[in-house]
Amino acid sequence: MPAFLRVLLLLLMSHVRQWPLRTVLTIVGVALGVSASVAVRTANIDVLRSFEQAVMTVAGPTTLEVSGGETGLDEQVITRIRTIAGVTSASPMILQTAVRMKGGQADQAVQVVGLDLLAELNTRGFRLSQPTTENQLLGMIQPRAVFLGAKLAAEWNLSVDDELDLLIGTGRLTCRVAGILHNESDRTSSWERMAVMDIAAAQITFQMVGKVDRIDLVTDENMAVEDVAQDLRIVLPPYLTVERPANRARQVEQMVRAFRLNLTVLSWVGLLVGMFLIYNTMAFAVAQRRREIGIYRAVGMTQSRVAVLFLMEAGLFGGLGGIVGSAAGVALAQELVTLLSRTISDLYVPVGAGEGGLFRTGRFWSMMVEGIAIGCVVSMIGAVGPSVDASRTATVRALAPGDYEASRQLRTGMLAGMGVSLLVITGILSLPGPIGEVPVSGYTATLSLLAGLACLAPICVTGWSRRRRYVGRDGGVQGVMRGIAVEHASRSPGRNGVTVSALMVGLAIMIGVLVMVRSFRHTVELWVTDTVLADLVVAPSMWLRGTEIGGAGRSLPPTWLKVLSSIPDVAAVDSYRDVRIEVNGQRVAVVSRDLRLHAQWSRYLVRQGDSSEQLRRAAETRGLLVSEVLANRLGVEEGSTLEVMTPSGSVKFPIVAVFYDYSTDGGKLLMDRALYQSLWHDDLVTVFPVYVSPGSSLDRVREMITEQLSGATGGGVPPLVISNTELRKEILDIFDRTFLLTYVLEAIAVVIAMLGIVNTLVTSVLERRREFATLRAIGGSAEQIRQLVLWEAAYLGVIGITLGLIGGGLLSLLLIKVINKQSFGWTIQMIIPIGALIQAVVLAAIATLVAGYFPARWAARQPIIDGLREE
Amino acid sequence: MVILRQLSKVYSRGEAKVAALRDVNLEVKPGEFCAFVGPSGCGKSTLLNLVAGLDLPTSGEIVLDGRSTGNLTGYEWTKIRRETIGIVFQAFHLVHGLTAEENIALPLMLRGENGRGTAQRVEDMLDRVGMSHRRKHRPAELSGGEQQRIAIARALAHGPRLLLADEPTGNIDSHQGAGIMSLIRELAISGGQTVLLVTHSVAAAQTADYVWTMRDGQLVSRTERMTELVTP
Repeated sequence: MPAFLRVLLLLLMSHVRQWPLRTVLTIVGVALGVSASVAVRTANIDVLRSFEQAVMTVAGPTTLEVSGGETGLDEQVITRIRTIAGVTSASPMILQTAVRMKGGQADQAVQVVGLDLLAELNTRGFRLSQPTTENQLLGMIQPRAVFLGAKLAAEWNLSVDDELDLLIGTGRLTCRVAGILHNESDRTSSWERMAVMDIAAAQITFQMVGKVDRIDLVTDENMAVEDVAQDLRIVLPPYLTVERPANRARQVEQMVRAFRLNLTVLSWVGLLVGMFLIYNTMAFAVAQRRREIGIYRAVGMTQSRVAVLFLMEAGLFGGLGGIVGSAAGVALAQELVTLLSRTISDLYVPVGAGEGGLFRTGRFWSMMVEGIAIGCVVSMIGAVGPSVDASRTATVRALAPGDYEASRQLRTGMLAGMGVSLLVITGILSLPGPIGEVPVSGYTATLSLLAGLACLAPICVTGWSRRRRYVGRDGGVQGVMRGIAVEHASRSPGRNGVTVSALMVGLAIMIGVLVMVRSFRHTVELWVTDTVLADLVVAPSMWLRGTEIGGAGRSLPPTWLKVLSSIPDVAAVDSYRDVRIEVNGQRVAVVSRDLRLHAQWSRYLVRQGDSSEQLRRAAETRGLLVSEVLANRLGVEEGSTLEVMTPSGSVKFPIVAVFYDYSTDGGKLLMDRALYQSLWHDDLVTVFPVYVSPGSSLDRVREMITEQLSGATGGGVPPLVISNTELRKEILDIFDRTFLLTYVLEAIAVVIAMLGIVNTLVTSVLERRREFATLRAIGGSAEQIRQLVLWEAAYLGVIGITLGLIGGGLLSLLLIKVINKQSFGWTIQMIIPIGALIQAVVLAAIATLVAGYFPARWAARQPIIDGLREE
Repeated sequence: MVILRQLSKVYSRGEAKVAALRDVNLEVKPGEFCAFVGPSGCGKSTLLNLVAGLDLPTSGEIVLDGRSTGNLTGYEWTKIRRETIGIVFQAFHLVHGLTAEENIALPLMLRGENGRGTAQRVEDMLDRVGMSHRRKHRPAELSGGEQQRIAIARALAHGPRLLLADEPTGNIDSHQGAGIMSLIRELAISGGQTVLLVTHSVAAAQTADYVWTMRDGQLVSRTERMTELVTP
């Protein structure tokens, strides 16, 4: 080992032995920051990899996919595809979701893949556990035969020939387990968690006779895949997409990019706060070891070596924190994956929860290495200031008796000037638009805001206590203790400024996000109240599973309109269809409904004009209403036109109005149902909004609907009949689930900030042992010493909380008006959630005092005589 | 004022036990000025710490102002220090962040007194130690002698009946030391305080009414009015 490293370890160990508690606090702080970051990153990767893996597994050797979007495509297309040069094979495929109805894991969803089993038995990367004799081959293509993935079968406790009840769309299907699927190779694959049926059986089961979801092609190895794709695009109808399988994964990645980015940035807050903690620890170490540094310099250590010594010490703390944090982060990620995949499934596309195959894929170790590196780098950045300060130690003064620090003055005025400048820069940075849909200047403005407030912290620490006179002022002993505490706290503006900053950052982000989320929720509530007006909604039984269920599970037969309209006390029934298409590379929801009926009974929150008038105008002019998010993304507005590729060809629609919508960040197009049907040739319905006659009993109507429709499903599963209140609650539940993760990350940042306070107070108490002992010797009680430390904590807490409130308010403006607007395009009406803010402040105040309590108790218990001996 | 009966103090250092004081018996009457001299480690400061209640004896009894202190709680000792005892330290032990006058007011404030009376008392003490012109200065801005004057004013501000001075001239030069000792003597006499002084300095010990010489934790000899004392 090089001599310098040996010296470093020697000195480090002596420091650790001397200050074990501080060392542990620092490492825990770094570990928490790293764990949040690693957990979010791991979960993000895991969820997307799981989606990608599912895509690639099912694709097998497929080189191109032809897809018709959510409405599927005519199976006859396959004949034309096979005529194209370079297409070696073309296989139809159905990809839908079913839900298990009975048994141990009832209500669990499974992806069902419909394939031409006889043709593709050995081509897709799975094998069957049954020998494939001729009779068994025939058994495979029977309508109710389903093959279950080995893992799924084990979890569901099913084996060959067992019966399995599945809920598919509005129907119930009792299947027979015809065989078990295994992965052909050992590498991780998704087949073992899927169910496979023969394509013909799947078409019947999912009511897709004559239709398929996709056609998978294998192209000639000797021809460029893109050339074949180009030929296909010429021959096939333009609304069909021809793409490589991997593109779908990339598209999803693109779609959730803003969501992931915001989450990732939030996960870095813990690291940022952890950086303050490291700064504090290292600044204390430098102050404590000033004489020691003088000795190093006197015996020949260079300035740069001194700096490196402290940087490496911080790096080692960071490395240790990184090891603990990475392990904790990977463990935490297992929980986050479920939450994250559900949120992405709710909001974007159905994704699985991954298989947690970190160890198998070797990613565990790469995550560990990444976490350790993050811990080291963050710690070393945090330690730059103190390390440079250490290297600049004046040897003579450090070795002379007396207080080295007393001769140094923190330039609080200059820092305050910088702080004000940074706040001005924050304002300027909030003005530019996003770069490539990423709010780069918004994020920079956030950093600038927090840095500006952090620069103001030292002057706040000193400013509030200056020129106070304590002698002769009434205020009792408490007033005196308060005065001494404030006086002491203001003596260390550097160190206490950093602690206050850590608390400020934690609280500002907590408040900023809280105001943003509450404002967003309030906006969504207003939107739901103003636009979701149908008294009842008749929906497929799996509808509340959101995008998880696939097209077939999200549709109802159009004939139900007549059934529903005939029910007494039903005043009006709308037919609402919601399918996903691509417009200019954006995944967009096309919503069609009877616009005239909607104008009469309900409304959209249109940006300009009156809702009813705009809806009627759209119906009359064959125009569109476009959601605000989509309008922003596509750069269109009221009066412009939008070209959309439909199964009937490309159509230019006039945009009649732009409306506020918070159901998806992918954007929404609204058109009249008649127009949609004429272009998409799709008469299915996603849900039926039902308006009940005034004065009638909602429960009674609901019962009648269930009764009537149970008959219509021919013994199938009755549809969901959801009341307006239940639907609103479900929408807000999805909203709350989406932000659950946000709260977890915030809590981690606040805990680190609290560790910062404990760290500072422990430092303060250690430094002031002699002072406390003196106070005890001249008549101060243990209780008074405890109060002194607690007052100091309270003083720092008050400044940190005040700055945190200011920072939080400004941050919420940035989040709502800049970052969120640029990332997702939503207009959010800002509200100030007074109650929640009071809760956050009280929580921070309690946490501050709790953080101060233990050092205070320790200080009060120290033997007086030991303190007086301290030099 | 102070009675010590069979007072012993043993410190444990790992396996080893060190007797700092061994069966010390002593009586100091009210108003007396008693000095303790002896080599380093002879137990002088330990004795003072025990009398101040800063440390607890291993055995024996301390009687202060007629009251046995054997069963006192920590808080009762605090009250005794607040009301009866003033301490002057070798290292001054002023609170760095407070001004001279705030340091002097500290014992009064810790008793909950901080009205006009306190301000007047602080004013009076500053005047008596000749530091009125430095009232707004912080310890770092004062010389060693000045700091010790403030420390003496602080020790006497609440009117204690017993003043304990542990090497009060140990950190200052001999010229300033003489001034400090005469100040202690003058204030103690005028205030009727009993003084226990621990010192290495012959000059400082000469201000006392009598001097106890200590060796190996025991009082070995008493000399009246230090004229013939030989530095140990």
